[in-house]
Amino acid sequence: MNPIERLGAWVIASIEDLGGYTRFTARATWGMIRPPYRFRLLFKQMEFVGNQSLSIVMLTGAFTGMVFAVQSDFAFGRFGARGLLGSTVTLALTRELGPILTSLMVNGRVGSAMAAELGTMRVTEQIDAIESMSVDPVQYLASPRIAASILMVPILCAMFDLVGVIGVSYVATQMLGVNPGPFYNRMEWFVDPDDIWGGMMKSAIFGYILASVGCYRGFYARGGAEGVGQATTRAVVASGVAILVIDYFITLILAPMSVNRA
Amino acid sequence: MSDIRLVGLRKAFGKQEVLRGLDLVVPFGKITVIIGRSGTGKSVLLKQLMGLLRPDSGSIFIGDTDITRLPEGEFRKVRNRFGMVFQNAALFDSMTVYENVAFPLREHTRLREREIRERVVASLASVGLADAIDKDPHQISGGMKKRVAVARALIRKPEFLLFDEPTTGLDPIMTAHVDELIRHTQDTSPGLTSLVISHDMEATLRIADKIAMLFEGRVIFEGTADDVRSTDHPVVRQFVEGRLEGPIKV
Repeated sequence: MNPIERLGAWVIASIEDLGGYTRFTARATWGMIRPPYRFRLLFKQMEFVGNQSLSIVMLTGAFTGMVFAVQSDFAFGRFGARGLLGSTVTLALTRELGPILTSLMVNGRVGSAMAAELGTMRVTEQIDAIESMSVDPVQYLASPRIAASILMVPILCAMFDLVGVIGVSYVATQMLGVNPGPFYNRMEWFVDPDDIWGGMMKSAIFGYILASVGCYRGFYARGGAEGVGQATTRAVVASGVAILVIDYFITLILAPMSVNRA
Repeated sequence: MSDIRLVGLRKAFGKQEVLRGLDLVVPFGKITVIIGRSGTGKSVLLKQLMGLLRPDSGSIFIGDTDITRLPEGEFRKVRNRFGMVFQNAALFDSMTVYENVAFPLREHTRLREREIRERVVASLASVGLADAIDKDPHQISGGMKKRVAVARALIRKPEFLLFDEPTTGLDPIMTAHVDELIRHTQDTSPGLTSLVISHDMEATLRIADKIAMLFEGRVIFEGTADDVRSTDHPVVRQFVEGRLEGPIKV
């Protein structure tokens, strides 16, 4: 194949892949709405996505807030605006860092696990076995995982925000000597509940992406252990990139609304 | 009371043509064994019967009903009439033996847990595995997994039972045990039609009512175990005797 043929083949394969992903997610989303409703599977996945990710997300939130406080103090201190530290860091945490870092951490932990689990089920014919028993494997396997991620990633994001704000407050007021009065006053003045809600909404979308990509890659894994490994890597990379790209476009849409609100 | 008829089935993966116009009748109430070398499309044939793969052309009839091009929703109803035992058992490794066997009942019936347990215990007892009920699949041997898979396939009393190389990877004693289980299941289940994919000739001759040999994407021989023993068909003879020389190229 010459380079042009290779490029053409890559474009065709990419479009086919996108088409396959769209069909898969449409089927999985429809599977969340229509019966049968498998609440036991949903709760099991919610426990896996939410409860088991809580400690890593809180740890990430705490240290992100703390390091951000140190860096911001250094920057704001140069032109005597340390009082803005609390509001600035909290806005950054709730609007951007919370949703993005929570989703990336959950993607690394949960998206990869979903791809690996479904990939292993595919290559060991367990998915065929589900289908052979007249059960829709997409609805059985993917729908509860995606629904659980949509529900739990925003809650994890809220926990990230909370712990991050506690981290920045502690470092700023107890360690860096920032005056607590203006610190909390401006935080309250500048940060609205809509900032938190907006971040949680974004993380619900990111939860949908990371779970659907993980399930899709695993569901169509091929070729034994190597194929499962490749599916897992592709899932984590693809959803990580998708989260960052989609975040940009959501922010473009949401930013004018925030300006109007102000 | 339905036969399965496969008419002119063709299936290719890319440029590789696996089935090239396969014709076969799987008679009602009997065990039909399809033999042939690995990679000749035997498992593809089973997956087409279950609708897990769709043929490129040709037709599959159950009785007089052509199921070949049924939409997925309709095919799901057809699958309710089948039970399948996969090559490596395909037990769900996130579930216990009990949960594996109970799976079809939980998905398709509104039975109470107590009734499900009774039926699962009975089904596992019929394959001699009542003691393994609370074990995880990784805690039991390959032969036991196959028997659990048989119990799972039988629990909803299917009309058609499909086995994909049920004795592959088992020791001779466990092979004989699984063969006996297939024969016993057939003899004690009125109205059951079994289709077994195998390349184990000893097992085939022991259990089969009808044997069909698959070669180069077509059925080239059909008959009883005695017909296989006495035939002078060169391909069948080479396969049965396991000779390197002959029309089957290694």
